Amino acid sequence: MNAAPQLLFDALSLGGIYAMAALGIALIFGVMNLVNFAHGNYIAFCVFALILPSSDVVAVMFIGKLPTLLLIPVILAIGAGIAVASEYVIFRHMRGATPVAMMISSFALGFVIQNVMLTVYSSRAKAISLWPDLNTPVDIAGASIPLLQLIVIATTLIVVAGLALLLKKTRIGLEMRAAAENFTMARLLGVRANVVITGAFALSGALAAAVALIMATQTGVADIRMGGQIMLTAFIATVIGGLGSLPGAVAAGFLIGAISVVLQTFLPLEIRAFRDAFLYLFVIVILLAKPQGLFALRSAGPRV
Amino acid sequence: MARLGVFDLSVRYGKVPALMDVSLHLDEGERLFVAGPNGAGKSSLLKAISGAVPTTHGRIEMDGELLSGRAPENIARLGLSMVPEGREIFGTLSVEENLRVGTGIRRDYQAIAEDMQEIYQSFPVLHERRHTSAGDLSGGQQQMLAIGRALMTNPKLLMVDEPSLGLAPNIVDQVYDTLIALQKARGLTLLIVEQSSVRAARVGGRMVVLRGGKVVATGDAGEFAESDLLNEAYFGQSKAPSGAETHR
Repeated sequence: MNAAPQLLFDALSLGGIYAMAALGIALIFGVMNLVNFAHGNYIAFCVFALILPSSDVVAVMFIGKLPTLLLIPVILAIGAGIAVASEYVIFRHMRGATPVAMMISSFALGFVIQNVMLTVYSSRAKAISLWPDLNTPVDIAGASIPLLQLIVIATTLIVVAGLALLLKKTRIGLEMRAAAENFTMARLLGVRANVVITGAFALSGALAAAVALIMATQTGVADIRMGGQIMLTAFIATVIGGLGSLPGAVAAGFLIGAISVVLQTFLPLEIRAFRDAFLYLFVIVILLAKPQGLFALRSAGPRV
Repeated sequence: MARLGVFDLSVRYGKVPALMDVSLHLDEGERLFVAGPNGAGKSSLLKAISGAVPTTHGRIEMDGELLSGRAPENIARLGLSMVPEGREIFGTLSVEENLRVGTGIRRDYQAIAEDMQEIYQSFPVLHERRHTSAGDLSGGQQQMLAIGRALMTNPKLLMVDEPSLGLAPNIVDQVYDTLIALQKARGLTLLIVEQSSVRAARVGGRMVVLRGGKVVATGDAGEFAESDLLNEAYFGQSKAPSGAETHR
């Protein structure tokens, strides 16, 4: 058993999940200064969309039964749908509100989603089996890596590359980048606020759905609380990356993934349970050194 | 019909008034300078016209269409564009991307490409640096980019907020030369915030002086340059020389 590649794949796959969740948060923050704490609940919502609505302990696959090629777009659309719906119902009416007021509303929305799910599905975690074959180990460089880890890493790369292409090469991407940097100026140039914001929410929700599929396969569990921890970590990643910076969110997602895995491996056994305390110590050190984040948006202020 | 008409416009930020009962008009192809001390409401006037801040009272019309109450992106579609104070270029976007942001409202793709070429001809340095991040441009180049970006929406009325702010005098000359040439070529109507009556007089046009959110004087820019009127308008004595008129 070779530890180094094992470590690398662990770090990349965990970092990839954080990076995708952080991107989902950074996209929305970029265009409307909203830290959407309901993002974690979108993830849980998408996991539960795989099974039949019921409070039984035994989960019966519903959308999860669809063939893979159909299942993936359907779940991505569901994620995009719930995100766009929450914008339409709530955040659209808060455009002029302070970032704090919007953030509190997103917390409230998260609780609403969670409690609706609690009523429908009950609070007990359910075992689900989505693509169980993916947990088969593959031998790479002497290490045995679960196939899923490779798929997570590949998915992250595809998602990041696809998003980069969308943002760089399409009209809506150009408008989203302009709006993320200076929303009022973009509107003065004719960029439609509603189109850009709806687009950001749709992409963000689809990213939440991608994370949901990975988590469901990886853990084999559907739990209404399952998005919470990842949301918190991803939020921290967006702050470290420089709020609103998309490359920053990706880089910081991988950084946090790497630090977690390294701590998990090398911390002495008796303090390993406190891994997160050490992780957040790193976070504090980074923010003390770079309060604006590692990739703070370059200011486009006047120059002489 | 006036290209732009502002009638009894008032703007407040919370309880703080920025503009009080301001009225002015601009005919098609005309050039109007807006002067006034800091805090006079010049930028608020431009922001209100462009829809970036809501009007509290009064109305704004362009070509007979009501602007007040419309979203900025819809006002841009009616043919109004702005070079804001501080230029506000998109620093993380490339120069060419900055120029393309404002073309989303147009469908005349042939003309968009021609406009882009024309702007590159007017400002060759933008063409040289079209793939660099706009944030890396010098102040003068950013000003040129901000003007080019505003023109890419194909406006009928262009508003420029302090084109000379923070620029070396020779660059300011170049910026004005370009603005005037563009106005002649395209029949643009120009509204320019400019502190210097001497410069305004050299370029030529009408001038409106704001102080404390009100119009305190209007007249030909040349008359302001020749007299003490601008100083008086700034500091409050109001003695009107021939031709120009001061209010209150």
